Amino acid sequence: MTQSSRRPVPRFNGLLMTTVVAALCVALPVLVVVSFVITGVSDAWNHLLETLLGRYALNSLLLSTLVATGVVILGVPAAWIISFYRFKGRGILSWLLLLPMAYPAYILAYTYTGVLDYSGPILTTMREISAPAWAMDPLLNIRSLPGAAIMLSLVLYPYVYLLARAAFMDQSANLMEAAYTLGQSRSRVFMRIVIPMARPAIAAGTLLAVMETLADFGTVQFFGVQTFTTGIVRTYYGFGDTVGAAQLSTLLLGCVFFLVIFEKSSRSRVRYYSDRLRKLNQTSVTLGGWRQSVAQLLCVLPVCFGFLLPTGILLYWAFFFAELQSMWNLIVSSFFLAGFASLLIVCVALIICYANRLYPSTWLNYATTFVGLGYALPGVVVAIGVLIPFGAFDRGFSELLRPFGVEPSLWLSGTLIALVFAYLVRFLTVATGNLTSGLSRVRPSIDQSGRLLGLSQMGVVRKLHIPLIRGSVFTALLVCFVDILKELPATLILRPFDFNTLAVKAYELAGDERLIDAAVPSLCIVLVGLLPVVWLNRSVTRE
Amino acid sequence: METAALMIRKLRLCYQDTRIVDDFSLSLKPQELGCLLGPSGCGKSTLLRAIAGFQELLEGEIWLDNQLLSTPHQRVLPEHRGVGMVFQDIALFPHLTLADNIAFGLTGWPERQQTQRVNELLELIGLSGFDQRYPHELSGGQQQRVALARAMAPKPKLLLLDEPFSGLDTELRGRLASEVRTILKSDGICSLLVTHDQREAFDFADRIAVMHQGHICQFDTPFNLYHEPSSPFVAHFVGPGEMIEARVEGARSVSSPLGLLTNDKDLGFAPGSEVQLFLRPDDLIHDDDSDYTATLVGKHFRGAHHLYEVRLDHGVVLGCFAPSHHDHAIGERIGVSLDIEHLVVFPK
Repeated sequence: MTQSSRRPVPRFNGLLMTTVVAALCVALPVLVVVSFVITGVSDAWNHLLETLLGRYALNSLLLSTLVATGVVILGVPAAWIISFYRFKGRGILSWLLLLPMAYPAYILAYTYTGVLDYSGPILTTMREISAPAWAMDPLLNIRSLPGAAIMLSLVLYPYVYLLARAAFMDQSANLMEAAYTLGQSRSRVFMRIVIPMARPAIAAGTLLAVMETLADFGTVQFFGVQTFTTGIVRTYYGFGDTVGAAQLSTLLLGCVFFLVIFEKSSRSRVRYYSDRLRKLNQTSVTLGGWRQSVAQLLCVLPVCFGFLLPTGILLYWAFFFAELQSMWNLIVSSFFLAGFASLLIVCVALIICYANRLYPSTWLNYATTFVGLGYALPGVVVAIGVLIPFGAFDRGFSELLRPFGVEPSLWLSGTLIALVFAYLVRFLTVATGNLTSGLSRVRPSIDQSGRLLGLSQMGVVRKLHIPLIRGSVFTALLVCFVDILKELPATLILRPFDFNTLAVKAYELAGDERLIDAAVPSLCIVLVGLLPVVWLNRSVTRE
Repeated sequence: METAALMIRKLRLCYQDTRIVDDFSLSLKPQELGCLLGPSGCGKSTLLRAIAGFQELLEGEIWLDNQLLSTPHQRVLPEHRGVGMVFQDIALFPHLTLADNIAFGLTGWPERQQTQRVNELLELIGLSGFDQRYPHELSGGQQQRVALARAMAPKPKLLLLDEPFSGLDTELRGRLASEVRTILKSDGICSLLVTHDQREAFDFADRIAVMHQGHICQFDTPFNLYHEPSSPFVAHFVGPGEMIEARVEGARSVSSPLGLLTNDKDLGFAPGSEVQLFLRPDDLIHDDDSDYTATLVGKHFRGAHHLYEVRLDHGVVLGCFAPSHHDHAIGERIGVSLDIEHLVVFPK
């Protein structure tokens, strides 16, 4: 034993520093946006208040309510059927139901708009067979608030399905059997035991869907529905009113944080219900005849409209109409950007997770929780929150360099640095979440065994942690990659002038009513988006 | 002075800002199997973490084989201490085979010796031929034995066992504790077990330190702890028994509801003082021939014997062991007699 192996107890170091810096980075956009609340009101704000604010609020509320209803209608029955009954096709449907997660809502919106166009195949056929107007009108009116609600519900219901299914399957068969022995009928057991116990999970899934709805920009923008997100962009670009945009963002943030707190409290109760006793799915009932058909139909419908139909259409358009040549550059630049940003994010996340593991403390826990709020921030708000301080920096820096004959330039705000920074703010939680759950499976006693068997702290990481959390690191990378690929508003606002990604290209083409040409970038996003859905489902079933 | 393998002096420890161990001293002889026995929350696991080097000291020193391991200002890193540990949750590395798990701490050993040591230990724990299995393919008892082998492999100077049997079922627990004792004795490793289970401690240890609220109440052999406990807490913690009122009559005798009782050692109380007399179920024997009878008010069949609860004529209820086939009904009057080797008295 050498003298050098004795060390004073560590107090402060790089891991902790990085965590604090990361927390400050994530905090920056929020603090910037919120700080405008105290700067007073602009003229445009008064105008906004009189004319548009009411409409934004009403539309956002209406849309959220419709989507909440929609995801419950689509997600809960499917979860219930998959959990409690056996029928032909149950196995494959249980994971097909997850696939719509691969779609960003705006791509679904572009696809359905293209199909339901006045001159599109469906309405042409309907006119030929002289279908009544009441059947054709709603299809023509897809570009409306109810239309947007349908699109969002179709891609967001898997949240509810997934959480409700887990809650149903976690319920102990013993509880239900206890209720039967107390003389309760099947339907009463369902209403009094099964549904109340799954309610926190269903609520959590619905709240996630509503948060995504509030953050959505692509769909509502394309359908011309004026909500908070479109309002923020319009105020910023249309009126050039930074203060107004920041204040609108603050309002939206208020709603989102309210939902986050709500979601956290409902989820904290979810865990309470899980039970290691005999699981329900071992007692499920086998269906036959018409009951089986109804069960299949209820599960097939969401998959069909949320995934199979639009994917078929996109494939058809991509193969027969679109030109692929110009897309290669786009694919390469998108993948490069997403790959680089997700690597960076996962590295930062690893540092934060290790800081928490090695030096657990209350204030560090708070810092990490704060980092965790990033995902709840709508992309539009993150973009505005990044653009304002970076723009100010650019102006100041140019002013500073002017005496030296340097031309004013966008040093940060017009570069990929701003974009990657915004991705970091928004998606850091995705990575920390995955890594934390991976690391938590490596119990502290594993580390301690390693140390007592002669490994240094770094040796524990190299010989034990890396082999054990490789899977979680990969998952974190994959999920970040796909989320970045799908992210529209932040990319749209922050990208450099000559830089395009798949999502932005699809947005631009759809904006020019070139919906068929938008099929190729859309299809790329969806196909890559399938990877984490399939991968995660595989690892869930394996466990 | 006798040489000590492990020596702990005046230790003070905190856990999340609460002082949980204070003025704690303990030493173990070479090859001795020691045990810290106490209710949960008495600080015994934190103490073990401090010995392993995962916990800061506020005060005191920890020595192992005449080498200073920890002070409040310095500590030798865990990997350089020569201390092995077996964990409550077993903590085998899930991605490695049994052979690789056991060989994990043998870095730097020549290949041949590694293989030899692994095989030797697998044989010792009765799992020869399992070397290429993975931890999840074994039962809980087997996994715990592998964890033991892994900790023993690098021949540590001290082996710590942190409630290693608590995840196993009761029957296996007692058997494994004796088995582990045999294995450790054959290897001559000085060890310290932490547990809250009195039977496990008796099965395992040469000497047991009973802990309560961060202090050692008594450090003694299992036999002495049971028969000559130094405080009411120890008396109750290591086995069943009842307190009854008594009065000291002479240097070696007390008067009690059971009559005048005498033993052959000094009680240390002045004649006439009111004291509490502690009686275990084995101090009172069921004897059909005895003239002295009591009413049977409760019975617990333990297979090999009965544990009866009897009410004496003075109203005092005591435990009493009876042979397995003496099956009396509740309410019956049965003969009992006293069999007291030594009187256990505490101040009132």
